[in-house]
Amino acid sequence: MLAQVETFKAITAARVRKVYETPSGPVEAVAEAGFEIARGDFVSILGPSGCGKSTLMLMIAGLESTTSGTITLDGLQVSGPQTDAGMMFQDPTLLPWRSVLDNVLFPIDMRGAVSSESRTRAESLLRMVDLWSFRDKRPRELSGGMRQRVALARALVNDPRILLMDEPFSALDAITRDEMGYALARIWDTTRKTAIFITHSIREAIFLSDRVLVMGRRPSTIIEDVRIPFERPRDPSIEADPRFNELYLHLKASIHRTTGAQ
Amino acid sequence: MNGIVKNSDLAPTSAASARAPLPAPSPPSRLGVLRGQARLVVLPVIAAALVITGWEAVVRIKQIPNTLLPAPSAVAIRLTETLPFLLGQAVPTTLETIASFLISMVLGISLAVLICKSRLMRDALYPNIVLFQLIPKIALAPLFIVWLGIGSTSRITFGVFISFFPVVVATLTGLTSVDRDLLRLCKAVGADESRIYAKVRFPAAVPHLFSGLKIAITFAMIGVIVGEFITAQAGLGYMILFAASQAEMTLIFASIVVLCVIGLVLYGIIVMAEALALKKYGA
Repeated sequence: MLAQVETFKAITAARVRKVYETPSGPVEAVAEAGFEIARGDFVSILGPSGCGKSTLMLMIAGLESTTSGTITLDGLQVSGPQTDAGMMFQDPTLLPWRSVLDNVLFPIDMRGAVSSESRTRAESLLRMVDLWSFRDKRPRELSGGMRQRVALARALVNDPRILLMDEPFSALDAITRDEMGYALARIWDTTRKTAIFITHSIREAIFLSDRVLVMGRRPSTIIEDVRIPFERPRDPSIEADPRFNELYLHLKASIHRTTGAQ
Repeated sequence: MNGIVKNSDLAPTSAASARAPLPAPSPPSRLGVLRGQARLVVLPVIAAALVITGWEAVVRIKQIPNTLLPAPSAVAIRLTETLPFLLGQAVPTTLETIASFLISMVLGISLAVLICKSRLMRDALYPNIVLFQLIPKIALAPLFIVWLGIGSTSRITFGVFISFFPVVVATLTGLTSVDRDLLRLCKAVGADESRIYAKVRFPAAVPHLFSGLKIAITFAMIGVIVGEFITAQAGLGYMILFAASQAEMTLIFASIVVLCVIGLVLYGIIVMAEALALKKYGA
């Protein structure tokens, strides 16, 4: 029984298709995506721009409906917004008039449920993302990387079952981006939440993930599913591992196949 | 070798000399006394004083009669003589302007929320509101007199009519300026619409709202004065028209001076409220 629960799929997508109706006709954002994600897995979705990665994430969060096909979270079909999905976007989307701490508390405040426990939780998350001393600052006083760390703490404040991240580091400079990757790996290790991480960066995907899915462009389906063998906790030194480079070249080749197919 | 030594000798010296002038005051410009905040106040005042002095000089040298263009000094004398009377006339003008403005604010914000909330309302109303902006609304003033009579109601209504459009447009811009992903996040955490408005959309709209309110207060005053021109009962607009009919040019200018002061004070109040609000809600 316990084993059954353990192997329970946290997220499944079966023949998921999304078609947007636009004035110039229907646009197929996702053709037929199918995958299963085990609980506690960190899964990256790699793919060229415009391949429907973000749409797929919004459908998992229940913020966009599927045209056909089904998505389940913990065995339940997604039919509306999933209140226990933590989300991160390309922009930190912090509220400029709120302090860092109040930004972290925002998801709870929006349900009118701020309590002393949630406050304590927000405070411990701020310590985890190394922003404790900035708790009373406004977002404008923070650097881009710090703002995304606030957004990460905010995504975790509800103690969500899943973490959905849509290119959260792609607006950052290369050095900050690497640091954020290491920080996310470290923080994720302490929470081990089922996570979907959308990115354009192959190295970022390999470093962070247990699995990397590659999404092709037209038809936008999952064309590759690669398991990443490195032990956790992960250290930046794995990038020197020959297997890292092998995986990198392999994934790069699959992405090139899909963009070249155009 | 010699050159290298020379360079390394020079380096600390040039660095020191580059640093040296920093704590000392920067070299005086031609308007050396005027710097920083003082400059922002003093320069416009000097410019205005020059214009007024020039006006005074032209009137005196050319001996222009008071009935054509009174000298600033004559206006000042008339103003001090008639100040209690003009202030009495200013009361209805000011009150009606404030009433117009407040109604515009409430109406404008409500309409913006309605348009923001309902797709149907947006599609039906917004093009019309934009189109209405293009109408020379002053031309419609007599209609309001026909419909609502010559009392305060018609002047206030006309003031509202010409001043609420900027509030709608500015507030709507603010309410819809919220990042799409942030709204998605709100939905994902299960926030209801009223909370999204109270905690996200309205605070985000505050800077935009004030830019609309600043336009609205000046428009409200224009509306009320035009109303007074037409209804000719009381108020500074009426005074200006009456003085014109009597060729009392100094009285016209004295009334205009009082109007300017009221306009500045009302505008100043909004600017101060804006400064307070931006401290809290500014980016």
